[in-house]
Amino acid sequence: MGVHLRMTALLLVAGFGLRVAAAQAQAPSPKAGGGAPTSSATPADDQAASELKEHHRHHHHGGVTKFIAMSLDTLGVDDAKRPQLEKLQSDLHAQMAPAREAEKDVLRVLAEGVAAGTVDKAKVDAAIAKLTTAADAVHAASLETLNKLHAILSPAERAALVDKVEAHWEVWRQVNHEEAPGGRERGGRLAKLTEEVSLTPDQVTKISAALKTALAGHPVKLDSQKGEAHVHAFAAAFAGDSFDAKSVTSSANGDLASRGATRMALFYETVTPLLTPEQRTKLAEELQEHASYQPAPSGK
Amino acid sequence: MRATNRPLRESEDPMNRSLLTMLTGAVVVSCLASTPVRAGVEIRVFPPSWYIATARPVYYEGHASYWYGDRWHYRDRDRRAWRTYREEPRYLREYRRNREPERHYYEREHERR
Repeated sequence: MGVHLRMTALLLVAGFGLRVAAAQAQAPSPKAGGGAPTSSATPADDQAASELKEHHRHHHHGGVTKFIAMSLDTLGVDDAKRPQLEKLQSDLHAQMAPAREAEKDVLRVLAEGVAAGTVDKAKVDAAIAKLTTAADAVHAASLETLNKLHAILSPAERAALVDKVEAHWEVWRQVNHEEAPGGRERGGRLAKLTEEVSLTPDQVTKISAALKTALAGHPVKLDSQKGEAHVHAFAAAFAGDSFDAKSVTSSANGDLASRGATRMALFYETVTPLLTPEQRTKLAEELQEHASYQPAPSGK
Repeated sequence: MRATNRPLRESEDPMNRSLLTMLTGAVVVSCLASTPVRAGVEIRVFPPSWYIATARPVYYEGHASYWYGDRWHYRDRDRRAWRTYREEPRYLREYRRNREPERHYYEREHERR
């Protein structure tokens, strides 16, 4: 093929490439995403997203039932319905209380280990086992409350609640499963730690490498299909006109609590030896703060 | 008819010249055709999950609407896709004028206790 012909063919390929790229840039997004705040995000959005992710990184005790309770924080029901909704949200929190107490123990053991410079893995594993057992019992304990919740909500409110449960699940899955271990992206776990305890660039490099190794070699992996199945079963059933919580038989609450807490523990076990005593003190305080978390019913 | 007596190069035989002209034409047409597409398409950004999880919606026309990226968005009835109001409905415009958008900040729950 001659020189002119080759150049023209190259132009043609480049032209089509540019068109495809332009078309993709213009295409509307098919669904809501769970990633970092977009260019449409305001500073308030950034803050809300960052706080939500931080919450989901540290609180796993109720699994999908916790996502349901959290969804009531912003459901936006009218004032007449609000007292009933607050009561039901309070009931859900009470039904999750044993699991929440078990999670507090996990966080306290981690905080003590971080402060001391070494996390006691055996103690952490024992605390996570108790958390898993308690979280497993949450679904059965909350059946009646979920039925009452369905009964007081309008179809539009039920659809909105399902959207919110799915949104919480997506964010939880992103920060506890999909986020690359040791990744340095904005809004990621390492970026948050850098901000919390003022890591030096050298520490960031070392911690990033250590986290990649630790999580790659860890035998416990999240089976996100269990969580997916629970969320989808709840969503399909709850959006309907009639609902019986007993029909949602695929509970992933124990699994989510166990996997989330295990990944959280592995993070603190890995970073602790690479921090200075001052940084460990600061980080231990943050963990104690998470351990003292007590949800207040908002029912908005 | 050729203007010079220079011998034809391999790429300049009549067949290749026709092909070259056609390909050039295709590139030009392709570029021209893309211009109106670019001008007519609006980039829509739907509310991401972290936004749905932390923002309070407004109920209008039987669904929860979220103000995000200077537009109101809602899920269609079968919950398969997000939709955007091209024109802001009066009810939602009035709502937005009278009330601040409500968000939930989860870490502040610790401070509220």
